[in-house]
Amino acid sequence: MNVVITPVMIGQVIISGILVGTLYSMVALGLALIFGVMRVINVAHGPLLMLGAYATYFLYSAFGLNPYLTVPITMLLLFVVGVVLQRTLVFRVVGAPELASLLLTFGISIALVNLAQLAFTSDLRAVEYLTGSYIVGPFAFSKSRLIAFVFAAAVSGLAFLFLQRTKLGKAIRATSQSREVAMVCGIDVDRIHLFTFGLATALAAAGGALIAVIVAIQPEMGGVWTFKSFLVIVLGGAGNYPGALLGGMLLGLVEQLASLFLTTQLSEVVAYLLLVLVLLVRPTGLFGGRQT
Amino acid sequence: MRLRGLVALVWAAAVFGASLPVDAQAPGPIRIGASLSLTGTYAKLGNYQHEGYKLCAKQVNDKGGLLGRKVEFVVYDDQSTPATGVRLYEKLITEDKVDAVVGPYSSPITEAVANVTEKYKKVMVTPLAATTSIFKRPPDKKRHYIFMVISPAEVYLEGLIDMAAKRGLKTVAIVNEDTLFSKAAASGAADLAKKKGMQVVFQEGYPKGNQDFSALLTKIRAANPDVLAASTYFDDAVAITRQMKELNLNPKMYGITVGGDLPEFYDLLKQNAEYIYGATQWEATLPYPGNKEFAEAYTKEFGREPVYHSAAGYAGCVIYLDAVKRAGTLDADRVREVLLRLETKTAFGDFNVDQDGFQVAHKMVMTQWQGGKKVIVWPDDLAQAKPRFPMPAWNQR
Repeated sequence: MNVVITPVMIGQVIISGILVGTLYSMVALGLALIFGVMRVINVAHGPLLMLGAYATYFLYSAFGLNPYLTVPITMLLLFVVGVVLQRTLVFRVVGAPELASLLLTFGISIALVNLAQLAFTSDLRAVEYLTGSYIVGPFAFSKSRLIAFVFAAAVSGLAFLFLQRTKLGKAIRATSQSREVAMVCGIDVDRIHLFTFGLATALAAAGGALIAVIVAIQPEMGGVWTFKSFLVIVLGGAGNYPGALLGGMLLGLVEQLASLFLTTQLSEVVAYLLLVLVLLVRPTGLFGGRQT
Repeated sequence: MRLRGLVALVWAAAVFGASLPVDAQAPGPIRIGASLSLTGTYAKLGNYQHEGYKLCAKQVNDKGGLLGRKVEFVVYDDQSTPATGVRLYEKLITEDKVDAVVGPYSSPITEAVANVTEKYKKVMVTPLAATTSIFKRPPDKKRHYIFMVISPAEVYLEGLIDMAAKRGLKTVAIVNEDTLFSKAAASGAADLAKKKGMQVVFQEGYPKGNQDFSALLTKIRAANPDVLAASTYFDDAVAITRQMKELNLNPKMYGITVGGDLPEFYDLLKQNAEYIYGATQWEATLPYPGNKEFAEAYTKEFGREPVYHSAAGYAGCVIYLDAVKRAGTLDADRVREVLLRLETKTAFGDFNVDQDGFQVAHKMVMTQWQGGKKVIVWPDDLAQAKPRFPMPAWNQR
């Protein structure tokens, strides 16, 4: 009944895994930033990604914008949404016990999903812009996924450079290492928090914008991205930004290979078993713990 | 003046005098109870079914009612949950003391409320339950009063397999969402394929809500089947189709169970929906008796076109009322006897059940998207056009 696995098939799923893994990396980097800087696990990360997807959908369908041109616009819009959320709600739970932040962001997430259902209805929407694939020898490179890969790699790379090189980026990392010391050094920690939440939301939004071209979207699409991002930052080591990038890639590959060698049903099991295993054996993550 | 007043009085007396005694004799309306999914997950479909019930009642009343009485529906919202449905049928039967009941929307809710209606020995025609196990039960747990209207899950893909076999195709790959209905439809397709001498070269399930089919479809591409039969709901059907194109997976035929017949399917996928086969219980264009009139009346009444859920709800109500009329009574056992023997054809198609109340006559049809239009291509006697075969490769369109 089942097919013999050939090297070509393995090659194909590795391609798929890397393409989707880069998206995981970018989205998870946002979650890692918020967690690193504020010790807040942002359950609303996925629903914010969903808002990004809808932003792109409406810019595309109402204004006829090229969906890839909408990526920066969507990121900017959601950056503002992130800043507003931080300014009005999330700042209240920074420094509070982690359960408080979980409850708050869980509440935000439910509110966002339900508001989206009211505003956009639960009907599927699709940005039918780029379908099909480039065929190279025996391998198929999905066009929309390939472009998403390029965008995600570029955005993650820029975000990473920003964290490494710029003054603001260094301030973010400093705050992530120690809030008190950062304050003593004259860093405006509240402003850093504001900016970090905005940036993280923009990263989620970029993911949403790119996903909208790949699959059909609906208001409940975000939940699974919260879980995947969480899985990625645990794999990569919470608060470890390069780790988040590698973790995303790893998750993409593990999922795809597990679906190939086992079944699609078991691939999620494998991904979460990996999570349990990492927590047991190397609780600081595969690529080390908090280091910046 | 006085004379005219007197005439008026006499006239009034004549009119009221004539009508009053009749009113006094006529018992109240026949009240039929149901819970429907008016909100929640199934809301869209539950509302279509509700409209089917409403239209059926309106038409019967316009023709003078049933057994000399008006027909009236008592409908509550079960919020798409089986537990609420159970509570509502209890209430309908014991508190509201309705004269009869008809089924709710969906297999899970029907399965749950059937225990209530059986307990009170109420006949229940269930227009939108397609799961075989609700009707086919072990001997000690038989149900006696429920009647199926739509075709069972197992035959959803019969048309696809039949068309494939007739064209000499040999191999089929089957994928399904790992839930009750989809699994039943997939195993039904596999059995039919084997019966027709085809080989099932690949079969695998995937979890509900799955959106990434890359690896699954990569395996299917390696198996290189002539036919891909996907037992889906709507979201997954859209995702699978898009990713087939991404991976350049090119079976000669590709058919899906649920979703492929909806206008939204084409809206989302545009020309990529071309050549895809969808299974449906009913189409407005089918030449069933009264079907055209039904679709017109429905559109006029509710301002939107009916879907198969509307037609099934309508037909379920019509069939029940027809059985009551033939029995000449609302007595459950006598109506049951009539329903078990009833062979009829409504706007929804054939109706005939076996001793378990299991539907054996109703036919599914297969549609195909051709040039942006949904066309019936199977069975042959109902087909509006020949299927466009084979499906061209994605990169050669």
